[in-house]
Amino acid sequence: MNVDFILYIAINTLVVLAIAPLFVSMIKKVKAWTQGRSGPSVFQTYASLRKLLTKEVIYSPSSSRIMRITPLITIASILVAALFVPLIFVPEPVGGIGNIILFLYLLALARFFMALAGLDAGSSFGGMGSSREMSISAIIEPTTIIVFAALAFVFKTLNIFDMVSRMAPGLPAAPTLILISISLFIILIVETSRIPIDNPETHLELTMIHEGMILEQSGRNLALMELAAAVKLTVLMGLLINLIVPLGLATSLTLIGILIAVILFVIKGSILAGIIAIFESSMAKKRFFQLPSLFAMAFFFSTLIIIIEVFS
Amino acid sequence: MILLAFIAVTLLALVIIILSHNHLRMNTACILQALIFVILTAYIVMFRQIPVESFFIGSEYFFIDHLGIFEVGIATIIFTCAALYARGYIEGLVESGELEKGSLKLFYVAWTLLLLVIVLAFFSDNLALFWIFAELTTIISAMLIAILSARENIDAAIKYIFIASVSMLFTFVGFIFLFEISRTSPDAGSLNWTDLIQHASVFPPGMMLAAFALIFIGLAAKSGIFPFHTWLPAAHAKAPSAVSAILSGVLLNVGIYGIIRVYAIVHQTPAAGIVAPMLMLFGILTVGIAAFSMLPQKNLKKLVAFSSVENMGILLIGLAISTPIALFWMLFQIMAHSLTKASLFFSSGILHRQYAGQFSSDTVDDIRDVFRLQPLAAWGIILGGLAIIALPPFPIFFSEFFIMLQLGAVSLWVLVITLFLLFIAAGALGYFVITNFTKVSGPGADDDIKHYHTPVSMKIPIIFLLALLLIIGILLPHPGMEFISQIVTELKF
Amino acid sequence: MIDTSTIEGIIRILFVGIIITAAYIISTRNLLSVVSVYAVQSLTLVFIALALYSLEGSLVLLAIAIITFFSKVLIIPYFITTIQERIRIKRDIEFHFLNPTTSLLISMVLMLVIYMVLSRIMQGTPARESLFFFGAVLGISLMLMGMMVTFSRKRVITKALGFLSMENGVLLFGLFVTELPFIIEFLIIIDLIILVLLTTILSVGIDSTLEDYHQRLHRFHLWEEPGEDS
Repeated sequence: MNVDFILYIAINTLVVLAIAPLFVSMIKKVKAWTQGRSGPSVFQTYASLRKLLTKEVIYSPSSSRIMRITPLITIASILVAALFVPLIFVPEPVGGIGNIILFLYLLALARFFMALAGLDAGSSFGGMGSSREMSISAIIEPTTIIVFAALAFVFKTLNIFDMVSRMAPGLPAAPTLILISISLFIILIVETSRIPIDNPETHLELTMIHEGMILEQSGRNLALMELAAAVKLTVLMGLLINLIVPLGLATSLTLIGILIAVILFVIKGSILAGIIAIFESSMAKKRFFQLPSLFAMAFFFSTLIIIIEVFS
Repeated sequence: MILLAFIAVTLLALVIIILSHNHLRMNTACILQALIFVILTAYIVMFRQIPVESFFIGSEYFFIDHLGIFEVGIATIIFTCAALYARGYIEGLVESGELEKGSLKLFYVAWTLLLLVIVLAFFSDNLALFWIFAELTTIISAMLIAILSARENIDAAIKYIFIASVSMLFTFVGFIFLFEISRTSPDAGSLNWTDLIQHASVFPPGMMLAAFALIFIGLAAKSGIFPFHTWLPAAHAKAPSAVSAILSGVLLNVGIYGIIRVYAIVHQTPAAGIVAPMLMLFGILTVGIAAFSMLPQKNLKKLVAFSSVENMGILLIGLAISTPIALFWMLFQIMAHSLTKASLFFSSGILHRQYAGQFSSDTVDDIRDVFRLQPLAAWGIILGGLAIIALPPFPIFFSEFFIMLQLGAVSLWVLVITLFLLFIAAGALGYFVITNFTKVSGPGADDDIKHYHTPVSMKIPIIFLLALLLIIGILLPHPGMEFISQIVTELKF
Repeated sequence: MIDTSTIEGIIRILFVGIIITAAYIISTRNLLSVVSVYAVQSLTLVFIALALYSLEGSLVLLAIAIITFFSKVLIIPYFITTIQERIRIKRDIEFHFLNPTTSLLISMVLMLVIYMVLSRIMQGTPARESLFFFGAVLGISLMLMGMMVTFSRKRVITKALGFLSMENGVLLFGLFVTELPFIIEFLIIIDLIILVLLTTILSVGIDSTLEDYHQRLHRFHLWEEPGEDS
């Protein structure tokens, strides 16, 4: 492990923590605009996180140790997963870092503990949320695997670092990139529990999935959970952005290069956030049993990519 | 230039129809159009050298050969009869309120256009052009089915349009294939049948097979061959009977005609070895499905419609044998079936007017006292039925007899199966006629059946067609036979 | 003049556009958006024809692009939208046999099969170049996907759209495999327009929710089959 890589760990984690709340509120802002409201300030999420961090944590008397460790495990695994996706600076990959399969497992670990915590408190909403979350992830899993397999097929590598830095043996053509971006976009929507899968803004018992699971969390723990969700969003957005338009990614450690990369990433991220917001505003939440048709779309496109890659 | 004459006559008829306000005048225009078409056809047959060379100046898209003029002859005769029949039949529909008066003009415009389009389809040398005209016949005839604007009619029409058009798209892809194949031949790409048949022997069999399979899908759907026959019974049963006669007697021929043409090309290549059994299989399946669907049938028009499906199957079998004799009798069967089926639909149309809506729902015919009420229609059904199940001296007997003879030479088992199926179909028809025509309502119940007064114009076509069939069957006129054998040589069998 | 490889790249991107629109048409339940997506699909075809024109310089391609633009991007979608407003149906949620998810999965398998079959059939013909070959595969796939729409939807108007998308597939196939005389292409368009006119007008009868139409139908005794509901 060289100095570059240690610096990368520091920079990437800092940047992701710093930017994640911004993107969340940006999506909220654009959605508010499309609905004709002015919406909260783009820095609102920072403020609410800070407030939550100072609040006292209350545990339900029926909850076990799971409830106490879940926020930590979640944020930890998500932050490690964040290391796998270089946002602004691509060093030489070290060890298993950057492996796309490990990346998936880390996300799954966070999800697993979240679902456990949802069940742990014994409230009915938490159980409902967990069961829905698990059903959806069971359905989306094959699709996710296929999408990532398509990525691996196209780039002929399993390492995200190589894909992003375009050092991989295979280079994708423009048509393939379009199909990949659609598939990844759908994965992004599903993984971050947004409309039409879930509604991140309500605590309406009939529709909520992700919010249902963290209903029992409070204070510092809630802040960690929300931060984890925001980081996950940013990481997936970063994956999509840097795979499709890797423009401006720094490959060497210079201050100016990093600065430019950060600015460019924020711009690209904001654009994607805008797209997500518009997509969300134009959709209604789907019924649970209609969800597979959305996944099927991602599945279809990724399989198509694999077919094209295999046969031509 | 003759083609221009056809078009001009149609235009004239259209103008008359659009300008006139009463039904009789529109109908007369249609009858006259069809009659003039018959005369033009006769003129071509008698006084022109067939195949007519370069008669349509500056265009390589059309031609007239024996097969084309043969089909046109059948079509025009049936159209003349049907137009005459429609005179009384449509009048009745208008009176009973099933057809709105405002739709009359549309009906006759579509009618005249349909005849023209069919004639042009038979005269098209370019297969893509043939495709377009065949597609137009689907649309126009669907319009004629839907004209009654009852929900079932619209359903039937839409089913017909979608099944036929969707399958015809496959045919078009097949034609594109064929075009691509012909580009590899010494003569650069062409879709003209006359060019294709000349160079057919050098075409690669693999692609030829694919092309034929695709083309077959659409044309099979047009001619009601299993598994694409599902539209046929509904459409034929729901259409006004004059239209049913055209659908069965002429439109099904369009599909079969296309299959014959393309098969003639395939026949020149080694691919015929695979295509012929395939056709045979589809033919037998079609006959089988039709025969077993006829058995429980309670509706006369549906029964007759399924009988058309059965006959299409026989035609396909005849084509699949692909010997010159089988082809000869298959062509003969096309003619015989068209004329017979038209007369059957005319007769059942009279019965439909007599009985529909009084006692029965539309799916079951409640026929009784038929000999007292409609003696002509009853005898028309009986004689037509005897003709369609191939009893001598009706012409279908000869064609089916010889086709079966040829089939026996190919495979005895296939022959046995086919004969069995034909027997079932004949039995179904006979059973229907016997059970329904012997029903007599008891004394005192006489008053509740209102007698439908059949106009003379509806009777003449039935008598004419039956007489024509008898004459053909008994005399087997030599010039006609000669004519058909010329078709066989032109198709290079 | 733009160089060949750029145009080929553009055509590949347009192919992806066609796949996306086809997948959307198969899986959506919103009638209004199907029409606009169909228009987009036709527009993509127009661009493909134009790209091919700049590649080959044949005037027929230009003419095809123009008539396709006017008929399929403007006239037909406009007409269908008008009819849709008349019958006031916005969603299409009834399916025969296949629901959208299954159709998508099946169409994927179909594409693979078509690829294999076509590559066997077209071996050794001039069309067996990569780009043109892909065009042909895509054309047939689009056609089959359209067919699935036609047969799996219950609304006549969606059936018609499925048919139209099939026809787009045929056009695509025709563009890439061979070159037909312009007159034929033109007549096909005419044929298509008549067909769409007829089916959509008939669909007013079937899909309509308007009360008066039903009353009109009720007057005829032909329409009294038990179990008919609408």
